[in-house]
Amino acid sequence: MESIFDETYQTTIGVKVDKKVVSVDQKDVTLVLWDIHGEDVFQKMRMNYLRGMSGYLLVVDPTRRQTLEDALALQTRVQEAMGPIPWILVLNKCDRIAEWEIDLERIGASERNRQAVVRTSAKTSEGVEEAFWRLAQAMLHSPC
Amino acid sequence: MPPESIYDAWLAHEALALFEFRGGGVFEPLAPLPAWCVSLWQVGQDESVRLAEKSPFLENFLAEAEEFWTSPTRGARNSGYWVEQDSQGQQYPLEASAIWLAGKRVLTVRSLPGAYRGQQRLFQTAREALLTHERLLREIEKKEILLHCIIHDLSQPLTSMRSCFDLLLGKVAPDVAKFVMTGHRESQRQERMIRGILEAFSADLAGDQSSTQAAAPSADLVSCARRAVEQFAPAFTQRGIQLILAPYWDSERGSRVVGDAPRVDRIFGNLLENALRHSPTGSTVEVSLEDGGPVMTAFVDDQGPGLPKDSSRDHLFALFSKAGDHPGKAGLGLYFCKMTVERWGGAIGAENRAEGGSRFWFRLPRASQESATRSVATDVKSPAAPLSLETAWKPVDKARHIVVADDDEISREMVVEVLRARGHRVTGVVDGRAALAAFERIKPEVLVVDQHMPEMDGLAVARAIRQKERQTGAARVTLIGLSGNASGEDELHALEAGMDALLGKPFEPNTLFQAIERPVEASRPAALPTITAPPEDLRSHLTRMTGGDEKLARKLVAGFLADFPTKLSAIERAVSHRDADGLASSAHALRGAFSLFDARQSGLAARNLEAMGRDHRFEGAAEEFRTLSADLSRLEGELRALFPPSSSPTKPSRGRARSHKKP
Repeated sequence: MESIFDETYQTTIGVKVDKKVVSVDQKDVTLVLWDIHGEDVFQKMRMNYLRGMSGYLLVVDPTRRQTLEDALALQTRVQEAMGPIPWILVLNKCDRIAEWEIDLERIGASERNRQAVVRTSAKTSEGVEEAFWRLAQAMLHSPC
Repeated sequence: MPPESIYDAWLAHEALALFEFRGGGVFEPLAPLPAWCVSLWQVGQDESVRLAEKSPFLENFLAEAEEFWTSPTRGARNSGYWVEQDSQGQQYPLEASAIWLAGKRVLTVRSLPGAYRGQQRLFQTAREALLTHERLLREIEKKEILLHCIIHDLSQPLTSMRSCFDLLLGKVAPDVAKFVMTGHRESQRQERMIRGILEAFSADLAGDQSSTQAAAPSADLVSCARRAVEQFAPAFTQRGIQLILAPYWDSERGSRVVGDAPRVDRIFGNLLENALRHSPTGSTVEVSLEDGGPVMTAFVDDQGPGLPKDSSRDHLFALFSKAGDHPGKAGLGLYFCKMTVERWGGAIGAENRAEGGSRFWFRLPRASQESATRSVATDVKSPAAPLSLETAWKPVDKARHIVVADDDEISREMVVEVLRARGHRVTGVVDGRAALAAFERIKPEVLVVDQHMPEMDGLAVARAIRQKERQTGAARVTLIGLSGNASGEDELHALEAGMDALLGKPFEPNTLFQAIERPVEASRPAALPTITAPPEDLRSHLTRMTGGDEKLARKLVAGFLADFPTKLSAIERAVSHRDADGLASSAHALRGAFSLFDARQSGLAARNLEAMGRDHRFEGAAEEFRTLSADLSRLEGELRALFPPSSSPTKPSRGRARSHKKP
């Protein structure tokens, strides 16, 4: 699957639709993935994209502190628009943890507050499957 | 479906699929479908199709499209780009539009690989440029810090070398002395060169070559604060934190301070980022400014958890310092602020607020007195005047017993040797605890202590000794601090801890002698001895301070002579009326110009008065005022001798200091 978790990843324009099958509770679950471009000075996200969404991964580049701020601000807006649906905070580039600039204390507090956080690496693929699996599991067990 | 025509050919050429919405989720092709459409969605040319079942993206967009078709809105509703891939892995960048066409509800879907890739390249380039820009900014900051560290490490040994030459000078024959003097002169030249490199590189790194010019750069602090608040407001809003700029009314002095605007912006930026990182949602961060006469102070107050326990100012602003295991940034931001502010002759600090949260502040000298104020931080560090055989020191008349405490062996030995050469009895110790033990055992008349030592620093030593003196009624020992970083704020802390003076490294041996050999007075914190500099010395000092600009020197002198009587009267009034706030502010207002005229006794007296005002302590204030007044009389006389009224463009002030009443 070509995605944000690929090292050769090209910037997303709009939405890239993809599919992925994960096994949860010994059943195959097909996820229809919408890889939506991140928000920055060049692009703003259309909230209409989120209609019908069952869960989401928020992917952060921890070597750039601002991406966490942007992601959390986006999460607040998504929650306001969609209500409390499952989401996973994905901290990418865990192979370069020495360069992380983000506030780990804040992340720890989120985890203690039962917010799922997964560390991934596009370079080694570490944590990528876990991120999708945990999201699928959370969606299947979500009361929403 | 209409027969094939030039119209159909054009649709095929444009890879455009045209559907009419027939209701109930059903779409009917209005023209032959392009190949991509057949391949991706497996749609027959003449078949009605439920597009929502073919594409998850269209399922989403069609809800929007139906809204559009049922609303009175005209024009079009556009989906934006999306990418789907067929069973062969072929990717199709698509874009859909809902429109009204000849009374029909029409959906167009177009495959735009060329335009998509073009836009993707554009965004990719822009984002990479943004990342490169961020990376470069970080590199610049790191290099700047590295440069400062290198400069510091290069400068330190030169101090020892110069002192060694000084020591040799008194001990070698005249024919050898000329070689020693050459060594001394060259070490001085290298110090100047290092500082020149620092200035030039710093300007280059900041992208501002103007700072290498003779005039120091200046920045409007109010504009910088306003700009910072505007820039950071969105980030604060996103976090649910209020960011406000407290009202500030410009005084007639304006709000220009020493420093260049981009760097002042970065200082504000670093402090605001810090506040943002530690402020809880729903709290307020306030930026405010304070006119302190010759200086201006900026504050950033937050309502966060406050400073970490046991975090000293030195630790907080140290290189690569982070709060606990808190990753934050690389620990460079506050260090950058400290380095930058202090290079401009300012100070920076942080404290916990009584009402909760923390306060970060920085203070910069006003630009109108840039030459004078820049010297505040550099006067004891600047290269000394060329040494001559005449200036080599002679043995002191009255030898004192001195304890020198410094954990750095070379620095300690250098001070010990210099003082021994002067004729004093000197004991060297390696840290603060040993200094205290030596104080108890040897009962020295003078202690020279390094500010930064492990376990027990110079300030702690000073406090402990002063407390001991109070408890036992012992005679007051002279305490001289040494610091590699003697900003005005450091000096204030040193005096508050009970030191009599703080000397910045590198220092001139004569400066150390003056500090040590003054008469010890038991009743009050002693100031440096009166510097009875002959007029030509004052002229040299002024020439150096103004870069040889006599017109500027005249202007500064005339301004000072016209201005200081009013300020001195305000101090006198505050002492008489026991007005603590008035004393602190009036003494503070007078301090700025003293370094310009090398009036250290006046400077220390004014600083002591300011500290007394802040502490609501008036014991010894009248005496301190008399010291100040007397030294100002001397200074006034010397300045008038240098620039007689006939040659001065401004009228002389009416006689003042000599006729002052005793408060």
